[in-house]
Order: sequence, then C-alpha cells, then structure tokens
Amino acid sequence: MSETNVIRRLEAAGLPPQLSRFGEWADRHFKWVLVAPAVLLILALSIYPLVYSLVVSFINFDFQVPGHAFVGFKNFERVIADPVARWSLVLTAFLSFSSVAIEFILGFAVAMTMMRSFPGRGLIMSILIVPLFISPVIVGQTFTLLLQRPFGPTNYVLSALLGNEVTISWLTESPYIYFSLILADVWQWTPFMFVILLAGLTAIPPNLYEAAELDGVGPWQVFWSITVPHLGPMILLAITFRLLDAIRLFDTIFIMTGGGPGTSTYTASYYLYTIGFTQFHLSQATAGSWLFLIFTALVVVFLVRRLLKAETN
Amino acid sequence: MNDREKRDFDAGLAEEVDAFLTGQPTRRSFITRFGQMVGMLPLSGALLSSVSTFALAQAELELADPSTPLGKAQALALEASTVGPKDGSAYRAVEAAKQFAGVNLNMTYEAGLQALDPRNFSGPMWQDMTGITSSVAELANPDMYSKAVAEHFAGSGAFDVLDISPAWTPSLADGGVIAPLDDYIAKYMNLADLEDYHPLYKALPTYKGKIWGFFDDGDMFALYYRKDIFEDPKMMEAYQAKFGKPLAVPTTWEDYAQTAQFITDQMAPEVYGAGHFRKAGSPGNHFDFMQQFRTNGGELFDENMQAGIAGPAGLKTLENMIAANTASIPGNNELDAVSLWAAFLTGKVAMIYSWPPTGRMTAGYSQTATAINFIPQSEVAGKIGYAVVPGNPEHATGFNKALAADSANPEAAYLFMQWITSPPVSLARVMLPYALRDPYRLSHFKSDLYAELWPDAKEYLVNLNNSANVGVLDLIMPGAQDYFLSLDRMATDVWAGADPQTALNTAAAEWNDTTDRLGVDSQKAFYEEFLKLPGSTADHTVEKLGMAVKLD
Repeated sequence: MSETNVIRRLEAAGLPPQLSRFGEWADRHFKWVLVAPAVLLILALSIYPLVYSLVVSFINFDFQVPGHAFVGFKNFERVIADPVARWSLVLTAFLSFSSVAIEFILGFAVAMTMMRSFPGRGLIMSILIVPLFISPVIVGQTFTLLLQRPFGPTNYVLSALLGNEVTISWLTESPYIYFSLILADVWQWTPFMFVILLAGLTAIPPNLYEAAELDGVGPWQVFWSITVPHLGPMILLAITFRLLDAIRLFDTIFIMTGGGPGTSTYTASYYLYTIGFTQFHLSQATAGSWLFLIFTALVVVFLVRRLLKAETN
Repeated sequence: MNDREKRDFDAGLAEEVDAFLTGQPTRRSFITRFGQMVGMLPLSGALLSSVSTFALAQAELELADPSTPLGKAQALALEASTVGPKDGSAYRAVEAAKQFAGVNLNMTYEAGLQALDPRNFSGPMWQDMTGITSSVAELANPDMYSKAVAEHFAGSGAFDVLDISPAWTPSLADGGVIAPLDDYIAKYMNLADLEDYHPLYKALPTYKGKIWGFFDDGDMFALYYRKDIFEDPKMMEAYQAKFGKPLAVPTTWEDYAQTAQFITDQMAPEVYGAGHFRKAGSPGNHFDFMQQFRTNGGELFDENMQAGIAGPAGLKTLENMIAANTASIPGNNELDAVSLWAAFLTGKVAMIYSWPPTGRMTAGYSQTATAINFIPQSEVAGKIGYAVVPGNPEHATGFNKALAADSANPEAAYLFMQWITSPPVSLARVMLPYALRDPYRLSHFKSDLYAELWPDAKEYLVNLNNSANVGVLDLIMPGAQDYFLSLDRMATDVWAGADPQTALNTAAAEWNDTTDRLGVDSQKAFYEEFLKLPGSTADHTVEKLGMAVKLD
C-alpha cells in the first residue's frame, strides 16, 4: 500500500517509472503469488491423496496379494458384506451419541454452576479443563489401570463402599465395557462442552435476566424462555464439533479394549485401522473410509444446516 | 521537484519507515521475509537430517563388568571378531566388512527393548571394528512388515537389514522385498555355524529351497511354575487325597486346568493356580489355541484348504482353555503379557506359560538393567521350576534377520547379519539382561557362561532346548495375520460368554474367506511348504523326525 504511494509520488515528481513490464504483471497478479504456496500444499497434501485414495479403492492394493489390478466395486462390496463393518458403524453411532449426550448434560450443568460467583471458582474451572489437555491415549491407559482386574482399584473401592465383593470385568464384560468407554470419553470431553457453553452463557445480555426478575418470572421459565433460546446456536455448535470428533473414536478403544471381546468394541475407525494396518488390506480399508466418509458427511450436512438455520433465526 | 512534491515524497518515505518500525508488513518486507524463509528451508533440511541421524544412531558401546558372565561373553565375542578363529563367521564378516568402512546401514527393529541391543551393544561394537555405522528404525510389530513392503513399493532403499517374523518370509520373498542369501553364505560363512542352530529354527528362514535370512530369536513358550507350591507337603497330601495321584507338573491340558483349579481352591486369594494373557489384541489367545489345537490332533486346513479349526479338536481346545481361565487369577481375560509377568513375579500365580524372558525375570536377572525396571522385582527368585508346556509348546513368532532387496549396500548388510548372528556374538546378545532375544543356537543352550547367570540357568536352557524338540511353529504363510486375528476374536468372544462352537464356526468362515481372498491354490502351495518344516504339526516335530537335541 505504502509502496504504491511511493511510486505514485515518484511519478508525480517527474522521476522515471520504477516498475518494469514484469513488475507491472507481478503487481497485478501478486495476490496469486501469495496464495500459491498454500494452494500447492493443499493440492499436494490433501487433494492428491484424496484422489489417489479413490483410485486405490477400485484396485487391488493389498500387501499380501501381488499386483494392482482393477477390481471395480469389489472392495466396497467386501466392506458392505462384512458384518463387523456394519456392527462398527452401529457401535460408533451408539458410543458417539451416548457420550455427547452425557457430556452435553454434564457440561451444561457445570457451566450453569460456574455462572455463579463463589470462592475458588477460578481454581475449580482451571482444574475442570485439565482433561482437555491430556492425550486420549493417556486417558485410555489411565482408565485401563483404574478398571483392569486384578490390579485396578475400582472393584476394591466399590466393594468397600457397597459392603459386597464386586467382581465386574470392566474391560471384557458386556455391558460394562461400553460404560467404561463412555466414562473415559465423558471424563475427557465434558470440559469441552463446559467451556463452549460457558462462553455462550456469558454472552447472554444480563438485562434480560434482570427484566425477568422484575417481572417475577420463575427460574425454570427463565431457563426455558431466555437461557435455552439464546444459547441455542452455541449448543448446536458445541454438539456439532463434539459429535464430529466422537465418531472418530479410536485411541481409547485401542488402549482399553483392543476392539474386544471379539469385535464387540470395534468402532468404524478401529475397524478401518485393523483392516488397513493389521491385515494390510489397504484397498478395502480405503473403500471403507470412503463409505464412512459418506455416512459422516450425512451427519455433518444435517448438523451444519441446523446450525446455519439457528444462526439465521 | 517542487517543495510540495518533495514534502509529499518525504512523507511517503516516512510512511514506509513508520510501517517498518511498527511491524506492519509491506510488500517488500513480505518478499524479504519470504526469501529468508525459503533460504531457511535447505538449512532446516540439513539441520533436521542431522538431528534425525543423531536420534537414530546408536550410543557408545556399553560393556558389562569383564568379571561377570556377560562381560566374559562380550569379551569372547570381541575376540572371535578381531582375533579369530580366522575361519569363524564373526571374524570373516568383520574382515570382509572393513572394505565398506564409512557406509551406514539402516535396520528395522521392534520398538523398545529390542532396539537397545543394536543401539548400545552390537551396533557400536560393529562400528568400532569395521567403521560401518548403523541407524536403527524402531517400529511397532505390524509396521515391521508394512513399512518394509511400502518402502519396497516406493523403491526407496530406506532399509538394509530387516527384522521380520518368520511367518512373513514367503510373502516378502515372493514380493521381492527380501533377497536370498545363498551366494553370500557360500562366499563368507563358515557353514559349520549353520549346523549350530537348533533343528526347529534352522529351517525357518528357508523357503523354496533358498535361505532368506538368519534366525535370531528363539521365542519358545515354556511352562514356569512355583516349585515351592508343588513341593509343599500339605499341598501334595491334599492333592493325593483328592485325586488319588501325586501332585506333579501337568503334562496334559486337562491336568493343567485341574491342577490350576486345585491350587486356586487351596490358596486363593493369596495365590491362584494359573494366569494367561488373554486380553484382546495380545497374542496370547492365538498362540495358545494354536499349540493346544495341534496337541489335540487338530489339522489347520484339510486337503481342499477348508479351515479345520471348527472340528472336535477345536472344541476340545476351547473347552480346555475355558477350564484353565476359570481356575486362574481374577481378571485373567484382561491381562496382557506384561501384566501377567507382574502377577507371576509378585507371587500371585503358581503357573504361567510364556516367552523365555520369563525365566530371566523370575530369577531377577533382567531387572538388573535399568531399561527393564518397569517390571516388578522378582519375589519368587529361586522358587521357579521350568517345564515343557503340556503337549507341544508354541514357537511364538521369533525373528529372522533378512536382507532388504533394495539395499544400496547389500554386501555390507549381509556381513553385519552374518556377524550379529554368529555363535559368539549372538551368545553375548541373548545374555543381555534387557534384551528380548532368546537362546536359539545349540551353543547357546550349552553355554557355561549363560548357565552362570543365575543358579538355575542351566535347567532353564535345557528346558528351552527340550521345548524346541517338541515345539510347533507359528503358521508361516501369507494371510497369517488374518488367520491369527480371527482366532483372537473368536477366543475373546468365548471368554465374554459366546458359545464356543458358534465362535469356532465364525472363525472358520473367516479363515475360508481369507483363503479365498488370497487364492485357494496359492495358499495350498504355501501351506504344503509350511507342512514340510519341522514343527509344523504335532506329528512332525523335531523329536518325531528323530532330530531331537539331547542335553545333559
């Protein structure tokens, strides 16, 4: 900007023009030069692999079967025909919706609590968000140590509290295994909901609450008529973000259950990992990834539309 | 230029200078900084390269106290490599390798303890003698296969020496990922050293008549039991009274479950009869099924390559395993190999079968190395007996050293492989307290130095040898990972309450699907090659073939 001014002033002063023809061309197209590195990086690191993965899903790319012959939709058929793949999709939906629902309720409750001022609030808030900074692998390992028999203390503590011997196999026995996975996820990600919703709550104009108080409106009506409507877009945003993250659930499964017993804790991500990196059927795993992407896209489109609609309203 | 124009011009320059001083980017400053960043790229590349080289390189040579058995073994390895005998494989390898001084060898190793040997001992020693440096790429076990294949596809020549599971040899050989060694062996090796392998292990790197590596890790399962419990007069008396026969180390799987249950009934919660690593994804399930299934007379495939695991032998195997689980420590089905070791070392379990490091850990020898201090100190040292697993123990994976076909320095890589697996050098390596490499050569089993490591070490070595005499091998053919994964899923499903026969049928269907995917005829040919190996079935062990090695 200031450089252009300098040139203009040089010209006005009768000094020879400073830009060559190339310089003028460069000046006109400078914006493209600026974005070119980013575009090239995206093409090289995202678009090319994406297109290549589409190619791989239609050929044989298996570390155990020589050659890369075109196989049409065979890789997709294998995934669709695989009962483990179908189950992993169901489990992914169940675990992600359950976890996010619980995280939302708890996060909302904590955020509402933290709206009030009380001694130690800052310290408690700091402690509450610590799980967000911990790697999911560490969270999985920690919960494994807590829950795993015979060394984990959970059954011991429960036995002491209940007065009876508790012998639950938290990591191998249904339905406790699902409870354990949800527990670990909720422990780590409730603070995310809390932080987002707290930000939303603080943005609601306080005069609305003051007016409601003057009008003698009860707390429940205030909650349903002021808090929830004003927080709506933020709630949808938090749930969208969290849900998109939750359906990729892998780390804690890998550490806590290894997908077992049997295939009962295979999520979609874990299924694709197993097919691709344990069994080395890369083209089948790629085809499965594309199918999973389509299912995910459906959820994303639905949520984003709701989000946009809420913001428009 | 009139005054006003001059004023405007000066103001413009000041604006430029102000923008610079306030840190506002101008096009010029952007171009300058962009140029600087581009200039930094080659610099950072060189920097990153040197950092990664440093990270991958081995440390200084770590030698034990020369007065200890390990120190003596290391001195002998050094002497054999530098002084002779001159016809020894170690000496020949070192002498021939000196022409390649300055070369760097990239080698894959399983991440963690396994990689400490080339980093701290064998890598630096080789470098000191030959001038050949080495870089260790630590990989998770499945990546040791996939990375090798991926780099071969890319033709990168990233690796020179590969640590591979023997089960991968046919795939990697047929895929051109690894190279045969026969010509190099003829040129450099003292062939007597090939005869020093236990017969079970000798044939493992052989495929289609060629040698595709050197065997380097005797991962034989063995039974480790508490002698003090089995020799306790009260226990012996109670067992005799209950079963009408003496309490003894079990030799059948039915006896094993019964004995474990008896000990649990008598001693729990202080001590439980047995423990197993049954967690999903830990390899204990498929290893255990494979060894018991074949002991029970099961055949993995029929003549049409249909899976044979769902028959009576499979059902009997699962029922035995369930009985053993019931008799075991609480949480048995959630244990992995390390937590099972922890349970045994702390005296909570009377019997386990596992890999050979179990013997070194229970004696407290492994824990002398700080690298392995995450394992509890042994509370059962001196109380452990060694026995052959009932029937036929599993050789649970092991490692071959293989030559990467794309290596830029194949001869130097081969010479390193010959040297590191030569009798004196490999002995020093299997004696490292932190190492997870286990004895596999006859000279290891007979080693007086190894026998001095702890009071019962000689019995330990004899038991490993005897186990290899009757041991059965992992399935060695393409698709092994798929077959094993199906067994693991099947077993953990059953532990969670699934009907054993239904689970067997599901696993058999998965096996057939895997066979179909890889090609029935091709898999049949691979399986027939596997069946030729000693240890492929319970009727085709080293002992049954009359090749058993007897030690005093």
